[in-house]
Amino acid sequence: MSRFTEAVLPPAATFVATTLVAELAIRAAGVSPLLLPAPSAVARAAVRHAPTLWPALATTAQAVAIGLALSTVVGLVAAIALASSRWVERAFYPYAIFFQIVPIVAIAPLLVIWFGYGIRAVIAAAFIVSVFPVIANTLAGLRSVDPALRDLFRLYGASGWARLTKLSLPWALPNVLTGLRVAAGLAVIGAIVGEFVGGGGLGVVVLEAMRQQRTDLVFAAVLHAAALGLALFAAVNAVSRLTLRRWHTQEKDA
Amino acid sequence: MTNPLRTALGSALGSALALALACAAGGCGGETQDAAPAGAAAAPAGLRLALNWKPEPEFGGIFEAERAGLFAKRGLAVERTGGPGAPVVQMVQAGQVELGIAAADEVVLARDRGSDVVAVYATYQRSPQGIMVHAARGAGSLAELFASRGGTLAVEPGLPYVKWFEKRYDLSRWKIVPYSYSVAPFLGDPEMAQQVFVTAEPIAARRQGADPQVFLVAESGFDPYTAVVITRRESLRANGARIGDFVLALQEGWRAYLDDPAPANAVMGALNTEMDAETFRLGAAAQAPLVEDDFTRRHGLGAMSLERWATLAKQLRELGLLDRDVDPQSCFAEPVLQD
Repeated sequence: MSRFTEAVLPPAATFVATTLVAELAIRAAGVSPLLLPAPSAVARAAVRHAPTLWPALATTAQAVAIGLALSTVVGLVAAIALASSRWVERAFYPYAIFFQIVPIVAIAPLLVIWFGYGIRAVIAAAFIVSVFPVIANTLAGLRSVDPALRDLFRLYGASGWARLTKLSLPWALPNVLTGLRVAAGLAVIGAIVGEFVGGGGLGVVVLEAMRQQRTDLVFAAVLHAAALGLALFAAVNAVSRLTLRRWHTQEKDA
Repeated sequence: MTNPLRTALGSALGSALALALACAAGGCGGETQDAAPAGAAAAPAGLRLALNWKPEPEFGGIFEAERAGLFAKRGLAVERTGGPGAPVVQMVQAGQVELGIAAADEVVLARDRGSDVVAVYATYQRSPQGIMVHAARGAGSLAELFASRGGTLAVEPGLPYVKWFEKRYDLSRWKIVPYSYSVAPFLGDPEMAQQVFVTAEPIAARRQGADPQVFLVAESGFDPYTAVVITRRESLRANGARIGDFVLALQEGWRAYLDDPAPANAVMGALNTEMDAETFRLGAAAQAPLVEDDFTRRHGLGAMSLERWATLAKQLRELGLLDRDVDPQSCFAEPVLQD
């Protein structure tokens, strides 16, 4: 079997099997489509409402991409600052955790008051929920640098900049990417929540479909959001393979 | 009206969750039979009623009937459930509750999607939905408002009447945004307009210092019955007499509430502390002409006409919200007359 078949066949088989079982079970039980639409009904809704779903997906994707990019930059800078000294870490890390525990649902209406209706409030929501995993994982990576290597750099009189760019960051890269994998999924959730109050994208399609009793379209929109999360996850994995292939064992065997 | 937790998200997540629970508890098949046969019970016959909002004047007749023992008098034990964001139509369809409160347009939409829900009592003969603007804009009607300089309009995404506005008026200068159940953005922006229930938000906005002006959505020609009691046709067949008794008790409750809303307002005020007594009093007064009109004086409180349902079904069809023609006769039933 080729590597491709090996990678694609198991998840595809799971997908086909689950979809088939769901379809048959829902049909056999005679469930009202208002309560739980069969996969075939969801697929039909996805096709029929494609002119609504695709532009909405593009809008959401844009907000997620910008929010995630902000999280990456801010998260990296924050983690480097926190790693610079124990004092800084103790002074600020507890407040970074704020981003992890902030109930985005409760503050989303405030984002609209601060940033106005539209994509800026949505980006802010995506950023808030996705920045912490980047900070936490990067910091863990920066903190775990092999002390022997750190001593070696010091011994050779390497500058702080060289230590950061040639040792700490490359060392922490697998952790950074783990943080980004988590952040990618969260950013999608944050953006949808943001859209519930800020408007636009798949978030509004979900609300509209609920109000108009189109349960099949609700599911179709949710699946589009899930696909967006999966695509981002795959993108982070691709970056991971490209960057880590040469030196980290994690990717060597994959 | 101003609780930040009651956001669009809250209601959306609540709907999804409650839907899952409804499936688990009642069975998604909607095949559950009502426990007792019609009219057999000597002990009080149980009826579960799902509300779609917190206790507010729109439910005045229900709370009055409960307070004054009008349900008990007819051998009924009515258990209230639901609340903001509850997926009432789905709960009724799943058989989790026998009765629920919804709007007429939701009934037609649900029937189009294969549901079996029917309306048995229409609280509001005229829809209490409105658009609230700042009086300083000086608009004289909805048509004038939308033709004026534009602004931001906050409405729940997917409301049929917004589609109706888009068809009837030119909304190109208006930015349409989601309504998050708070009047705060309205208070802060003189160019803002938002959806309201005439019994609630305008009173709250006025009490917070604004000078609001409200146009009823009905003015645009789109006027679905609102705060409608729904059930499944299957429940009606199995328990027609019991549901008929409920409707009679509810009529008496509304009669009493219209005559003197104070006692039921006190009961609701204790359950919904966000609204003070004065807001309840003003809300009850504001809604009275929408609940009782010439039609109900002839046919009884809560009565409905085929013509109104036919108009609504036709309008929803024109807006592209229905996949097929829905028979307006199938949308409502008057169990009292049938029995």
